[in-house]
Amino acid sequence: MAKSQDLYDAIVNGNAKAAHAATMAAIETGVDPMALIASTMIPAMDAVGKLFEEEEYFVPELLLAGRAMKSSMELLRPLIAASGERLSAKVVIGTVKGDLHDIGKNLVASMLEGSGFDVIDLGIDVAPEKFVAAVNEQQPQIVCMSALLTVTMPSMKATIEALIAAGVRNKVKVLIGGAPVTMQYANEIGADGYSENANAAVALVRTLLAAA
Amino acid sequence: MTGRERILAVLAGEKADSLPCMPITMTFAADVLGVKYGEYARNHRIMVDAQIKTAEMFGFDYVSTISDPTREACDLGARIEWYEDRPPAIDEEHALFLDKARLARTNAPASIAGGRMEDRLKGVEMLRERAGKDLLVEGWVEGPCAESADLRGISRLMIDFADDPDFVNELFEFTVERAVLFAGAQIEAGADIIGVGDAAASLVGPRIYREFVLPWEKRLVDSIHEKGGRVRLHICGNTRRILEGAGTLGCELVDIDYPVAMEQARALTGAQQVLAGNLDPVRDVRNGTPESIVQALEALQLQAGARWIVAAGCEIVRDTPHENVCAMVQFARAHQPFGIPQ
Repeated sequence: MAKSQDLYDAIVNGNAKAAHAATMAAIETGVDPMALIASTMIPAMDAVGKLFEEEEYFVPELLLAGRAMKSSMELLRPLIAASGERLSAKVVIGTVKGDLHDIGKNLVASMLEGSGFDVIDLGIDVAPEKFVAAVNEQQPQIVCMSALLTVTMPSMKATIEALIAAGVRNKVKVLIGGAPVTMQYANEIGADGYSENANAAVALVRTLLAAA
Repeated sequence: MTGRERILAVLAGEKADSLPCMPITMTFAADVLGVKYGEYARNHRIMVDAQIKTAEMFGFDYVSTISDPTREACDLGARIEWYEDRPPAIDEEHALFLDKARLARTNAPASIAGGRMEDRLKGVEMLRERAGKDLLVEGWVEGPCAESADLRGISRLMIDFADDPDFVNELFEFTVERAVLFAGAQIEAGADIIGVGDAAASLVGPRIYREFVLPWEKRLVDSIHEKGGRVRLHICGNTRRILEGAGTLGCELVDIDYPVAMEQARALTGAQQVLAGNLDPVRDVRNGTPESIVQALEALQLQAGARWIVAAGCEIVRDTPHENVCAMVQFARAHQPFGIPQ
């Protein structure tokens, strides 16, 4: 059995040190890293997402769980790379140009990473051309854009236009999110999806990949 | 009744001739005056002109000096990104207290002279002069959670609650001391009410809110009351799980943002609390029609009951059709508050 109850508990409880120790212990038993992710980390982050939806967990608890998950992934990544295996899909994510708000983007990135995706975080204030360059270099299946302000939402449209101009729009699914963003806006600018929160974003990515 | 009298009557539980209307306007007001928002945020004269013009044009009952969350942080030397036509923003990657040890080395200035806080103070003075007794004048300070998030970086602060609770309390104390000073100066300058913006508080759950945020918000609210001021608490976002606590602060007015059902907000804060809100600024106000806005406000009044002020959950966004804002004011003028003693 690849499942580690200690690691599961450490992630759900947001304990990075315990997550690190449990991952080390699992590696010492010769566990397959991909199996550990599938059996333990994804279910743990799913549980965290569910607790968030049920309003038992809030942003601090999500961030702590994300940090615990990262401390485990840092140990597993080199092993995965050495084995030649790949995580399920690649996601490029960033807060759009002119917007410096990172927390929503960080939460989505963390939930996606914990759900077994390879997440490339471009940071904040990301210009359309940076998204295009990342798509060309990283070859992701998904691009996620975040904006907290109505005044920076047009940067989402500009980024989609830049992806079209670069001829790569049809290579990726584009998801958008952020407080002022709506499904209507996603439709208007030609995004493939909109999500209201980090947990729903994970479900949406899975749905879009399954449909692709 | 003047707008000021109308608001003060509802805040005091007295009879008003119609519902007060207090929508928050910032970029919308700058557009009404035809100025870039960067100028609005930098220059109180422009802010005052825009606020007065917007209030007169639409018939609002108040004017406000809210502009952006960075005034206090800016005066401490935090890195701010300025834009020509948007609100300035904190550069959180280079937050002032990125290194926690810096808090202990930072002496809060004993006065608010010479920076963006003074600019707001002058705005309050000028609004008082221009509005006379016709319009309520609102000052503004950042609450402990929002200001700490600006100084430390919001994601870091969220983790600090678990990693270093002592540091969080020291940081909150630091921000509240400055907020008390700033609020007091604005009250002396003629502010009728002080808005306390504590947006980041909606990101935490009830445990962290009660343990960390509530005690420092309480200290700020009590200090504003001691200085003879009134308080409008504005926490953007989903406050459903912290609202019961926020309702115990004794604020004269609590804003409810759109993610919380007004009915629930009323149940959580009790019958005596005056509430403002909570049209969705984007979906209801910007994307709606005058007819849909009136319908939404009718439903809100039924849920909110007697002690209620017409507003959106947060700022009226800049490209909102003017007829939609007019519909909010027309609704307010055409309706009396429910059940206020005759």
